[in-house]
Amino acid sequence: MASNHSATEQSTKRHKVEGTKKHIIAFLFSVLLTFIAFATVISGEINKDFIYIILIGLAILQVFVQMAFWMHMKDRGHMFAIIGILTGVFVVFSCVIMAEYWAWW
Amino acid sequence: MSAHSHIEGQLPHEPEKATLEGRNKVLGFWLFLGGETVLFGTLFSAFLALRHQVLDGPPPHELFQLPLVAIATALLLTSSLTSVFAVHALHTNRVKALINWLIITVVLGAAFLALEIYEFYHYVHEGHGFTTSAFSSSFYTLVGFHGAHVAFGIVWISIIIAQLMKKGLNVVTAPKVYVSAMYWHFIDVVWVFIFTVVYLMGKVV
Repeated sequence: MASNHSATEQSTKRHKVEGTKKHIIAFLFSVLLTFIAFATVISGEINKDFIYIILIGLAILQVFVQMAFWMHMKDRGHMFAIIGILTGVFVVFSCVIMAEYWAWW
Repeated sequence: MSAHSHIEGQLPHEPEKATLEGRNKVLGFWLFLGGETVLFGTLFSAFLALRHQVLDGPPPHELFQLPLVAIATALLLTSSLTSVFAVHALHTNRVKALINWLIITVVLGAAFLALEIYEFYHYVHEGHGFTTSAFSSSFYTLVGFHGAHVAFGIVWISIIIAQLMKKGLNVVTAPKVYVSAMYWHFIDVVWVFIFTVVYLMGKVV
């Protein structure tokens, strides 16, 4: 039991829980990206095709930040999680490209 | 780390992954989220293909009001942060804080849902019904599916809160909290694409 206890204490040190600071930074970064996206549209100064690229780019960046930090995907042992989600994303891109450039016209 | 390696009355670290069942639950949930990605992807692709077919209904740039969308986005983004705080409370074994953060998450989610219901109600009065045009049908299907996910999440997390109050935090309840927080983040991630593709791109004339 004593050795068991010391093992638990060791693992306490190894698995030190990270603070909430990085989550708040991820939140502020998400707010900033959202603000830029809204401001780009409200200003109405930018060319239509270019604005789509900016908006989609901002969205992908924000999702990347949230998945890495909030869904813990940057942590170890998430290989199957990444494979699962990427498979979904692959199907999504196929569907979007099919619908946008092929099926309707 | 097996379920029995911790001493009595003390939770192991990352209790959501301390048992095989918990680990399998998390892995299975990731695969489920992959499937959910496909579900929303097909709805997004349908919307993208049909969004210009407005017939006699109001076009998106006349219909959408960005302040309302901005408030909804702020609510959901903040609720995603509070659910991450809940998981942090889970990892530091503070049950009371965990329950409080989950309650705040549910309340913010409910506020988002109320705003969405008001929004749909308002649109219908503007002549944007479900069957008005291909644009309106694909809009309500996509945004409505997201709203239904929020509603489901509210009910689910509320039940988990009740269970935490009754049974406390252990290796059985911890994976449930962890997985529901993942679900909630996923809802927020989908909303990022909805406010981008549906509302902001709809506002660009």
